[in-house]
Amino acid sequence: MAHAGTTQPVLTARGAGLRGCRTCGKANPAEAAQCLRCGSALLPEPGLQAVWAWLFAGMVVYIPANVYPMLRTLTMGRMQDSTIVGGAVELARHGSWGVALIVILASVVIPVAKFGIIAYLALAVRNRWPMRGNSRHHLYEIVEFVGRWSMIDVFVVAILSALVKFSLVATIAPGIAAVSFALSVIFTMLAAQSFDPRLIWRSTDSKTA
Amino acid sequence: MTQPPDMDIQPARRSFWRNLSPVWLVPVLAVAVSLGIAWRSFNDRGVLVEITFQNAAGISPGETAVRLRDVPIGHVERVAFSPDLSEVIVFTRIDRTVAEVIPPDASFWVVRPEVSARGITGLTTVLSGVYIEASFLPGTDDSARRFTGLETAPLVAPGREGTRITLRAPDGNRLTPGAPVLYRGIQVGHIERPRLMDGLDGIVVDAFIEAPHDQRLTTATRFWDTSGFSVSLGPSGVRLSVGNLASLLTGGITFDTITSGGAPVAADMVFELYTDENAAREGAAIGAAVNALRVSAEFDGSVQGLNAGAQVRYRGVRVGEVTSISPRVTIINDTPSVRMQVSLALDPAAMGLADDAGPAELEQVLSGLVAEGLRAQLAPASFFRTSLVIELVERPEAPPATLMQPENGVPVIPSLPSDIPDLTATAQGMLGRINSLPIEDLLTQAISLMATAETLIGSDETRAAPGAVVALMDEARKLIGSADTQALPGDIRSAVAGLSGVLEALNEQKAVDRLVAALTAAEEAAGSVSTSVEDFPAIAEELRAVVQKADALEIEGLIASANKVLDSADRFINADGTQSLPPALTGALGEIEAALAELRAGGVVPNINSTLASASTAAEAVAEATKDLPQLAARLDRLVDQAEALVGAYGARSPVNEEILSALREARATARAFSQLARALERNPNSLLFGR
Repeated sequence: MAHAGTTQPVLTARGAGLRGCRTCGKANPAEAAQCLRCGSALLPEPGLQAVWAWLFAGMVVYIPANVYPMLRTLTMGRMQDSTIVGGAVELARHGSWGVALIVILASVVIPVAKFGIIAYLALAVRNRWPMRGNSRHHLYEIVEFVGRWSMIDVFVVAILSALVKFSLVATIAPGIAAVSFALSVIFTMLAAQSFDPRLIWRSTDSKTA
Repeated sequence: MTQPPDMDIQPARRSFWRNLSPVWLVPVLAVAVSLGIAWRSFNDRGVLVEITFQNAAGISPGETAVRLRDVPIGHVERVAFSPDLSEVIVFTRIDRTVAEVIPPDASFWVVRPEVSARGITGLTTVLSGVYIEASFLPGTDDSARRFTGLETAPLVAPGREGTRITLRAPDGNRLTPGAPVLYRGIQVGHIERPRLMDGLDGIVVDAFIEAPHDQRLTTATRFWDTSGFSVSLGPSGVRLSVGNLASLLTGGITFDTITSGGAPVAADMVFELYTDENAAREGAAIGAAVNALRVSAEFDGSVQGLNAGAQVRYRGVRVGEVTSISPRVTIINDTPSVRMQVSLALDPAAMGLADDAGPAELEQVLSGLVAEGLRAQLAPASFFRTSLVIELVERPEAPPATLMQPENGVPVIPSLPSDIPDLTATAQGMLGRINSLPIEDLLTQAISLMATAETLIGSDETRAAPGAVVALMDEARKLIGSADTQALPGDIRSAVAGLSGVLEALNEQKAVDRLVAALTAAEEAAGSVSTSVEDFPAIAEELRAVVQKADALEIEGLIASANKVLDSADRFINADGTQSLPPALTGALGEIEAALAELRAGGVVPNINSTLASASTAAEAVAEATKDLPQLAARLDRLVDQAEALVGAYGARSPVNEEILSALREARATARAFSQLARALERNPNSLLFGR
């Protein structure tokens, strides 16, 4: 293991000027538009466009998700609209600090953090910021893992809306923000998925190469 | 391995746009949607409308809704004070579509839960909190954005078809806002809050009559208060009138068109509100009618008892009313005198003119009537009432007068002095006479009579009496009519006659003194028991004994003794001393001797014998008859008493009574005869024997 502990430049397909066909696996010349064997269209290199697009969409819909009411609560004939942050503040005011913390975490901190991480990763890849590939990959994995839990708010709203239907006494209806928030989460997840982790390594590789 | 043919490999040439991924559509769409939502929410935010209230009780920003016909059209956004802190300005967001048609006269009020006699309103606001209710008719002028809120809900929602009228009443005691206006028991409207009239007595209250019921309103319509219940006592008894329950609690007003010929009402017409139905029906609002003729009449004396609103009658029919009474100073021959001027309002229709006739026509008619003797006169409203009315009387014999027309003022009807005092005096005199009647004594007597009659009629005896009387009568009649009774006096008489004949014969013949002595003993015996009627049988008994004794007196013994007498007489006569007796005595003795000889020769003795036997039977018959005599007399007495009492009680002279009376008379006569007989026997028992 002469190479152990050292970072050797590894010859990649890209380095060899080849491009793999995703259908049959043949390594085609990088210039080829179609697979020389099966004729499938050779996809262009995964760029950051999709990441940016999804990220942007997610951020756009995140705005109404916070501005508009998430829950429309009708208690004793009295209608109350509560936004995400407003609801968390209300919870905190009633002493449910734990729940308020979870809501804030799941609905505000995590989505914002996701936006930030994805944007950072994308920028880092494009601008070839110096950073260890491992750390970036960890970040990416965290984003991927956490993404699904961001839907907790939407789940809560969906369940409450379905369960609490007592006409005048208490009724909960989802607001526009619920839909926006769900879309935001979905868009963010898609952004994370469309981010090709190989780009992380490519950037580091190319930088080191 | 065959080499594939060299392909024309071309590098991907891509422009910027071509390089653009279709994924970018997603954020573009997201932006579009977000912008859309934002625009819509901005658009939906509504128009800011300011409503000013005295207070904002229960209004909370963001929650309190603004509703139109119970449909939310907006909500309260903010509550703030007016600059001088005197009022509260409620900023509301009203839906743009609605806000565009809010007219400046739109009304807003806060709906709160309210419990009143009419029920509970706004109950939902207990849970949901208050809300602001808007009420308006859509208009085109949408510039109004500031409104003043009402403190209470308006009683009439804008846009309700109907007529608004005003009612005038002396007080608003029983009128609560929202109280129903009823027409024949059906609610057709309601009243608003009563308010005081400026500078006038009484109150006014606006009422709203809903369409189509407002067509029933005419100028002849009268309103009265049906609040609560009323009890009135009149000649026809006690009358209790109760309205419906709601009007009992909250007060209510009923109207009806009592007289015909009213004109359709205009909005905001003023009606009089009467205190009850009778007042409304009697006290027609002639004084308020537009076409009434206003006249006046002047009276010299007191008009006490005459009030504004009193009737004016013509031939007993109400034709108008007194509107006011005021003293007026007139100067006659430089002497001021005060006369009472009474203003009258006369209804042309009531005087028989056409419905559309006005005051001018009536005045014309009236002046004609006055020329023929129509005069105004005070008259009592009714016989027993002290209140007065004005009577228009026709006195053709009155001094001629005309309907005077003062310069400035209403026509004056000439008046007659009233004759009320005379009438009062007459009534008083009559009452005095009635008072002096001995009604109480009469009543007492009548009561006692009644009581007696009641007792008599009620007693079993009286009920049984007629039967008993009849039976008694029959019995009495039978007794009186029986052959025995009838024959009794005859028997006695014949017996006595027989006896007296015998005795006379004996007397005449100057028969035996011993016989006389024996008979005298019998007489004494009879006399000793002749004290009472009851003892009569004993007398008879002794008489019988005497007779028996007489019977038993052997004729031979008698003759023997008579012989002895005769012998001794013979001896006496034949004795020497006797020889010297006067020859008269000797003649007498000779006569006795002859009589005795005659006796002895028979004829007389059997005669006496048979006579005595017949006397004995007669005495026996008498004894038997007289055994019952006292009872009979007593019974007759009782009967008579009873019958008399009965007849006295019955009183009336009916045929039955006549018969009873005659029977009684007969019975009494019989009884009297018996008692006379008894008394005669008592007085002189010998009479039975001697026939005297």
